[in-house]
Amino acid sequence: MLVNLLSRAIMMSTPLLFGALSEVFSERTGMMVTAIEGIFLMGAWAGFTAAYISGSLGMGLLFAAIAGLLVAMLYAFITVTLKQHQIVTGTAINILIAGLCAFLHRVVFGVPLSPLTVEPLHRIAIPLLSKIPVLGPIFFNQNILTYAMYLLVPFGFFVLYKTSLGLVIRSTGENPEAVDVSGINVSKVRFITVMVSGLMCGVAGAFYSIGYLGMFTTNIIGGRGWIAFAICFLGNWNPIGAFIGTIIFGLAEAFAILMQSSSSISLPNELFIALPYILTIVLTISRKSFNVPAKLGTAYIKEN
Amino acid sequence: MDKKTRDILITSFLAVILGLILSGIMILFLGKNPISVFALLFSSMFRDGYTIGEIFVKATPLIFTSLAFAFTFKANLFNIGAQGQFYIGSLAAVSISLLIPHPIAIVLAIIFSFVLSGIWGGLIGYFKARFKANEFLISMMSTYVALNFMNYLLRTVLIEAKGEYPQTDSLARSTWLFKIVPGTRLHFGFILAVVVAILVWLLLYRTTLGFRIRAVGQNQEAARMSGVNPELIFVFTFFISGGLAGLAGVTEVNGVQHMLLQGFNPSIGAIGIGIAILANANPIGIIFASILFGALHVGGTIMGQISGVPSSIIDLMEGFVMVFVIISYFVRNKLEVNREKKLLLEGDN
Repeated sequence: MLVNLLSRAIMMSTPLLFGALSEVFSERTGMMVTAIEGIFLMGAWAGFTAAYISGSLGMGLLFAAIAGLLVAMLYAFITVTLKQHQIVTGTAINILIAGLCAFLHRVVFGVPLSPLTVEPLHRIAIPLLSKIPVLGPIFFNQNILTYAMYLLVPFGFFVLYKTSLGLVIRSTGENPEAVDVSGINVSKVRFITVMVSGLMCGVAGAFYSIGYLGMFTTNIIGGRGWIAFAICFLGNWNPIGAFIGTIIFGLAEAFAILMQSSSSISLPNELFIALPYILTIVLTISRKSFNVPAKLGTAYIKEN
Repeated sequence: MDKKTRDILITSFLAVILGLILSGIMILFLGKNPISVFALLFSSMFRDGYTIGEIFVKATPLIFTSLAFAFTFKANLFNIGAQGQFYIGSLAAVSISLLIPHPIAIVLAIIFSFVLSGIWGGLIGYFKARFKANEFLISMMSTYVALNFMNYLLRTVLIEAKGEYPQTDSLARSTWLFKIVPGTRLHFGFILAVVVAILVWLLLYRTTLGFRIRAVGQNQEAARMSGVNPELIFVFTFFISGGLAGLAGVTEVNGVQHMLLQGFNPSIGAIGIGIAILANANPIGIIFASILFGALHVGGTIMGQISGVPSSIIDLMEGFVMVFVIISYFVRNKLEVNREKKLLLEGDN
């Protein structure tokens, strides 16, 4: 029972980590990706549609990444190139994508009589490791994206703190003038980082449609993009912090699913559905010190 | 008309047109002729007195949610939780109207919706002031909490007498907002919305308090130096903002639906933000932008019923329009800078 819950928690934290880690990198360059909710949704739709039509989940993930990239490019064009407001732009794009996904779903599939489904990503038990008592089934009997998550956390940490690329990314959010003076194009750094974030968030969105449910609905994301966004803040813009945050939220989500399906508990279902959101509010309030990138959310305007 | 106002009108108009053209291209994917679809869209809007009335019915709650976003925006704060504040307002309105089946309930519903959703929103401002919490995140999350709270109440204490569906009983006729145009659904709520929008404009631009709010929006530290307490402004603007969104609950519950049910108007918060963007957060502009979006909704819904174009085309249209409006901010800024450069050059000669 407990093993089952924890295994599910790890699984549910996967897309959140993809999203939160993307936010960590973009926000370190000063760019909040406020279109994240829309990018998740676009990825979920594109992933499902490509997988359904081609019959291959690999194609699904590929198209989810491309779709996420395209939305991120639109976002970066308006916020980096045209230097418009990040929160306002993100909100507009989220509305646009919600309409676009509903519309395209209708264009491609019409009004189906029965729900369309694909076989979701299956779990791959890693030989030997999955045989470890307790830990094995929790950590080493997961799908491929969750294994990717295990690698992404140390990789992200390494890139951000131990490479010159990481130094450039961190400096772009703290002191873009200095980065500019050293001959590096600030807008280029921001644009490319947002694009890579879009790729990852597209895959994260696809996790909900083809990694787990095997179907698509227009409310499939339901604020999970925003939770990933919040985890980046709560994790103090650090890949390790983001990982801890995603595990906490994964636990909350798995716990909510467990509670909803068990009949012995008398507390209302709605409380458990709202749990991750309440948790975000409580953590946002109780978090004392933040290490906010100095130029977060502000466009870089070069002096002439 | 000065050059700046002219720029705003022309670029906004072009943004709307470009948004519509792009949506027209999307209609091609359905194998339909966009020109005939648009012709149908516009003729549907003005088909008869009833549909024209519907435009203003749809615009009413959007004016409120849009004002809610614009109000905090003036203080450079982001309230993107108008949807949740609307749910709290709806709950207050429906509870009072069910308890007191008498016209006095309308007045009480307006007061209680404003105050309760104002407190719900004001808490966000309080968290910001007291704990330096990020208001953007908290307001976003508060919507999901309010939604689940509403769903819970609808399933338990507020459930209809039959107990079949998670919805309330119908309100007594005496608690309905009265109609202002016979033969339509247009109700008093629209007038309320216009009056409130004008009051918000007066508050922001003609009072000291409004000046202080905008001062905090311009430069928080400079405002503090000149004796304004930004923390107090945070709580106040969020209280008013939440209250404004809550009033949409009264107009929708007492004016249109006459009951409360699950999945009630799920996107008026988000569309309100879009309208505020289109109107440059100007309360008077918001009235007109809301009517435009209301018209798109009415036309789109009827069009969906008769031509088979899915009504999600409306969200798509609104999304494209918003994106172009944001791009038009950039264009306008460019025009302004060019004009100033020209003035400087002329000054040199």
